[in-house]
Amino acid sequence: MVTYDDRPAQLFIYPSIFFLIIGMTFGVFIAFNGFVFPDYFSGEYVHFGRLRPVHVGSVTLLWLLSVDIGLMLYFIPRLCGTSLWNPKLALWSGVFWWLTLGLGVNSYPWGTNFGWEYAELPTWISWLPIKFFFAVAWILIVINLFMTIANRRFEKLYVSLWYSMGTLIWTTFTLLVGSFAINWLPEGISRVNASWFYIHNLVGLIYTPMGLAIAYYFLPKLANTPIYSHRLSMIGFWSVAFIYAWVGTHHMIHGPISQWLQTTSIVFSMWLFIPVWTVVYNLFATVRKDWAKYLQSAPIRFIMMGNIFYLLTCIQGPIQSLRNVNEITSKTDWIIGHSHISLYGTFTFFAIAGIYQAIPVMAKKPLWSTRLADWHFAFNLWGSILFLLSLWIGGFLQGLMWANWADGSSYAEFHNNLTRLPFLQTVADTRNWWILRGIGGLIILFGNILFVVNMFNTIVLKQVAQLSTPRELRAAT
Amino acid sequence: MTSPQTPTPEDKHSPPHSRFVYKLDRSAIMMIVGVILLFSTSIIVTLVAPRFVDSTWTSPSSPYQVQMYEIQDPNVYLSSVATGGNELQYVHHLKQDFTLLSFKESENLRFVSPSELESFITRFEEKTLKLTSRLLMLREPEGDMVAEADKLRQTLQKKRPLEQGKIPQMGLDKVNYQILELYDPQVTEAFSLEQMGGILQNWVDENYVVLDESSKHPYHQDYGVVYVKNPREFRISPLRFGAEQRWHYDPAGRPVKNIEELKSPALGFFSRRELIYLGEHIYAIEGCWYCHTDQTRTLIQDTVLNGSDSYPAPPSSANEYIYQKITFPGTRRIGPDLSRTGVKRPSRDWHKAHFWSPKTASVGSIMPAFQHFFDDDPRGTGRSAIGIPNHRFEAMYQYLMTKGTRITPPTQAWWLGKDPIKTKEIIEGQRTLQ
Repeated sequence: MVTYDDRPAQLFIYPSIFFLIIGMTFGVFIAFNGFVFPDYFSGEYVHFGRLRPVHVGSVTLLWLLSVDIGLMLYFIPRLCGTSLWNPKLALWSGVFWWLTLGLGVNSYPWGTNFGWEYAELPTWISWLPIKFFFAVAWILIVINLFMTIANRRFEKLYVSLWYSMGTLIWTTFTLLVGSFAINWLPEGISRVNASWFYIHNLVGLIYTPMGLAIAYYFLPKLANTPIYSHRLSMIGFWSVAFIYAWVGTHHMIHGPISQWLQTTSIVFSMWLFIPVWTVVYNLFATVRKDWAKYLQSAPIRFIMMGNIFYLLTCIQGPIQSLRNVNEITSKTDWIIGHSHISLYGTFTFFAIAGIYQAIPVMAKKPLWSTRLADWHFAFNLWGSILFLLSLWIGGFLQGLMWANWADGSSYAEFHNNLTRLPFLQTVADTRNWWILRGIGGLIILFGNILFVVNMFNTIVLKQVAQLSTPRELRAAT
Repeated sequence: MTSPQTPTPEDKHSPPHSRFVYKLDRSAIMMIVGVILLFSTSIIVTLVAPRFVDSTWTSPSSPYQVQMYEIQDPNVYLSSVATGGNELQYVHHLKQDFTLLSFKESENLRFVSPSELESFITRFEEKTLKLTSRLLMLREPEGDMVAEADKLRQTLQKKRPLEQGKIPQMGLDKVNYQILELYDPQVTEAFSLEQMGGILQNWVDENYVVLDESSKHPYHQDYGVVYVKNPREFRISPLRFGAEQRWHYDPAGRPVKNIEELKSPALGFFSRRELIYLGEHIYAIEGCWYCHTDQTRTLIQDTVLNGSDSYPAPPSSANEYIYQKITFPGTRRIGPDLSRTGVKRPSRDWHKAHFWSPKTASVGSIMPAFQHFFDDDPRGTGRSAIGIPNHRFEAMYQYLMTKGTRITPPTQAWWLGKDPIKTKEIIEGQRTLQ
């Protein structure tokens, strides 16, 4: 029996849970201070433009990417039947990772924003090459994980390993394009194009494969049943590998970018129905054998709800890219809702489920409270639904109001429409939806604070003697 | 610890090791090769190819755009040193064989000159604008020219007597003419005072002639050119302000020695190009781009939102952005689009009030206040270290004023109804796109 050194995984997972709360607190703050009580706390370092990247950076990099890496460090050795290639190296890359990312993301209010979306990390902070250190930390992790896979005891590669290997390659090149190569391209639309390529791949080729690897590993573990179809998961993997890198331009539909490129991205976006269908069906069919487990286990509920959100996000994605739908939804809150359903509703739910399974195993103690986990799920689900629906409806209505300017047949009429319904009126009309969004965010934040308490107690408190071994632990061993 | 695996039913029928999928299942190498192959194909088609296929990604929209960014911006300098207060001074860096100059008379402004410079003056009511890249400037007549100027003034006044009975009571009995002398300062570079430092530059594309014997710079051969009109030297003299040594604009002072002196802390000039890039940087770090898009999309609502009272704004094209280090097309339009700001909101005062307090400047706005753009107070009377009061505001203003103003020359601008792509006809359905 191999013993697994879980310290690197812990080094990534534990702080990331903390940053989940921090990042979401920033999110709730800007939801209220930016929209409900606009600019109530005002000034150079707290206004919306300076804090939004801290929220986004915290939840994407400090939480989701870090926890995904932590979970990969957890399950890749277990799927390979061998210990991590070099745990010491992994610890060092963890130290590098937290130092540079923690510094980088929290420096935005002081004016270090790089200026490209999702790539806001500064090249330098004083004499510290933040972006370079970040890349180094990542590459050390890639080497470590690839060497672990090369040394594996089980010849057959389980689908989670496929997705992990894919993401190790994709992330490396995507980060290279978005953070460095963008400065070598000709100025203007070439850089914009590279930026959208980066942004979309960050979601499609980093968070998607990482999230799916996590779901494919932890769902069978939690439900204690094999995955429904390995073949289906491979169709999903190769279609992700084929399709995702082509669709970045669909963020620029109707924009100043070549029409043929827009059309290409729309065609490939439509094909995204293939991978999502394979994943959604596969995960459902796995649980279908015994639905009682869904009721018994909060983490399974997280994965299955994440799965439903994944279906929704991947129905939205291709449809939003259609030119006539895009005309209404693009540049509105609908898009914000869409980015939250994928990164929060889907991949954060997957990661949370992974944590619920991994932490009791790593701490060698059962979960402190399954009731709290149930509440955590309930708050997350209902908070998310309120949050997402208000963004979608509010955004869609605002998009319709803008489209109202195009009613008529002469410029005089168009302009008259704009005079009757000025831009600022459409902002005012969206306020109620923003209030609901803020409340939804508060509910989610509260739920996640319960989660942190639960995890903290699981790790820190002594095991209560009379507790029977919980289901999660049984499934894991 | 076992890995979750599913035995597939086919395993029973054929030897598993011979099947492709089986091999793929077990070969990390094949998987890596496959992923890299697919990924690099998409990179080549979507990232590398487009700029070679579509010339608009890299080629400029008009010679005006090129000349504004490459000829004008690096040579227009801003500072408040001359006034000491809020008002900015625009100074043009003139270079022999590079900067095109015109000396154009008007009704009340006439020039005298030595006979060899006569040919550079565009006389009043002369149709063709004469341009030259020889470095000449205007000044109050000196030496022999004083007598000549007086003679000219008397001739003109005789030709055009005042209407009787009106102005004489006020002590004026003759039309006042300003007479300046065109002279050759015998230098290869100089600094001229830009009277109207604006968003648009002097531009001429018909009825003009460049008087150089051979073309001195490639841009002189474009179908139109930006030029400097009636340059007068920017001269300075020292001024004591308490214990402080300052400089101010003084036509009788001494010329600025060179570009180093102009940019020195004492004078504190910054080129418009530097300010535009600083503005772009501020736009990035302040996160303006999270709430403002910078693209007029090919949608009626966008052309209307950004349009003027009479004309829709043409949709953004790829080549509008080629002079930006960072481009901010944007994901969310929380505030209005900014791609035509230079046309929609050209007023510096409006922007000043708006950045100071958006909620009062445009009612219903949710934009944060940017009072940290200003040194001390909204009137901008404070002095900053770099010689431009409120330099962050000025940089941002200069950056915003590039938006939508540089697509076509001002003579062919869409806000005059001369939109080359006929946006109005398209959105009114009178003309279909090819």
